[in-house]
Amino acid sequence: MSLDEMAPPETEAPAVLRVDELAVEFRGVKALQGVSFTIPRGGISSVIGPNGAGKTTLFNCISGVAKHQGTVELDGRDLSRLRADRRATLGIARTFQTPLLIAELSPMENVLLGAHAGIRGGVVGLIVRRPAVRADERAARARAAELMEVLGLDPDDTRRAGSLPHGDRRRVEIARALISDPKLLLLDEPAAGLGADETDQLLLDIQQHAQATGMTCILVEHDVGLVMRVSRHVVVLDAGRLLVAGDPREVAADPRVIAAYLGDDWSEDRQ
Amino acid sequence: MTELLQQTLDGLSAGLIYGILALALSVVFQGTGMLNFAQGEMATLSAFVTLVFLQFGMPFWAVLPIVIVLSALGGALIERTVVRPLERSGELPLLTLGVALLLGINAMMAIIWGTNSRPFPSPFGQGVVTSLGLRMTYQQLGSLITLLAVLTVTILVFNRTSIGLRLRAVAQNPDSATLLGQHRGKWLMIGWGIAAAVGAFAALVAAPVLTLSPGMMTFPLLLALAAATLGGLTSRVGAVVGGLIVGVSNSLAGRYIPGLDGDLAIVVPFVITAIVVVIKPAGIFGKARTVRV
Repeated sequence: MSLDEMAPPETEAPAVLRVDELAVEFRGVKALQGVSFTIPRGGISSVIGPNGAGKTTLFNCISGVAKHQGTVELDGRDLSRLRADRRATLGIARTFQTPLLIAELSPMENVLLGAHAGIRGGVVGLIVRRPAVRADERAARARAAELMEVLGLDPDDTRRAGSLPHGDRRRVEIARALISDPKLLLLDEPAAGLGADETDQLLLDIQQHAQATGMTCILVEHDVGLVMRVSRHVVVLDAGRLLVAGDPREVAADPRVIAAYLGDDWSEDRQ
Repeated sequence: MTELLQQTLDGLSAGLIYGILALALSVVFQGTGMLNFAQGEMATLSAFVTLVFLQFGMPFWAVLPIVIVLSALGGALIERTVVRPLERSGELPLLTLGVALLLGINAMMAIIWGTNSRPFPSPFGQGVVTSLGLRMTYQQLGSLITLLAVLTVTILVFNRTSIGLRLRAVAQNPDSATLLGQHRGKWLMIGWGIAAAVGAFAALVAAPVLTLSPGMMTFPLLLALAAATLGGLTSRVGAVVGGLIVGVSNSLAGRYIPGLDGDLAIVVPFVITAIVVVIKPAGIFGKARTVRV
């Protein structure tokens, strides 16, 4: 199956993410202002926009890394006042343009960290290693190995994650995000530093995972052709504001988008 | 030859105490970036609390688990109440806090228990083991076994359990760990608890030899600081190896270097530390800290 066949049509599924009047200011510079949109449940949606449009800042707001005004709702639950670690345990996972791994740990250990939100028991339970905790740890290890193999990584790799080649680090980061069974996966430029085939394979894996688990993925990506192929919903930012949001065809045909971002070259490509 | 071995053995027993304290320092340093100068006084406090329980007639081995748990809770409490507000304010405030805690806990112990040295019973009893011409008191042998066990358990907890994995993750990359749902503050607090519990063992095995007083661990802490610097503050294994090098070099220098007998021998481990740090600033096993800009 190719990526094109997998992009499902826009449907009226209830929103998994609702962002309302989001605003962020860094030392007087408005990185985002008045941004409101919803992301439909399931599949891949994307955020595009020129450099400096506020795409990564948007991800920082959703994941709780950046302080923001306005509300972020996941499945109808307001996350605006929650810290990043609480948001992570409620089902938001993310990756970074430059993979943010824990360099000293092995790839497997990095992936296992993603699973640890799901291991039962408080601190005391973890110290005395109750049987339930041990069973959870075994299950997490098996799941980690499975995900790593799907993504083309060696679960027994003993190298430090920091010494891996770029593509492998990205895959470790994605495996680490997927193992937590997130409701929402934020992928910040997953194609950066990967070849076209690698990128297609990666997105195909993610799309299959999303279909199997009901996860929703939001992509920040520069490659507009790729975005239009894989996304069911596209959000366009420009200079910190929402330009337009909708299904890929609507967005691609919008004159404001063509003017602000896609440029004449892209519309010519499409003809 | 036998004498050399005997001196080495004595040095190793003392070195393990420094190593265990250095391990506690390393656990705190990795997490909080703070050199906890009060680690020794916190350990001494644990020993005083043990003495109180013993005076009620409780057997040592029943008191031990209670004191270890209390020490861990105390360490966690100190992190939560006085360290956390300063956690992100840089090195100097944290350094000052360490000194303040050192002086504060020391003074508190002096007010409650006075400054005189008190005898502390050896949990291992009186007696000497002789084998292959080497001799060890029951106290030395028991300490050695206890500290090796503490060391093994600590290293297993850090390297083999999910709790250790989270502690290492939070210490090495707090931002990344937060995004994986780990609450940084919670794990730092647990790190302080573990450090206090580990440190308590060092004081409990040292007290019968050094006799218990508020300043009992001040000198061992100095050597533990040297040990941690020597081995690498960011490395738990390094801290322990550093402790052993400090203990053995101190013991051997006192015996074999003319003019350095008695307390003067302490110069040698510090000279070794200085040389190592000049060659490898992060210590033998330490990794240079990378800073993202």
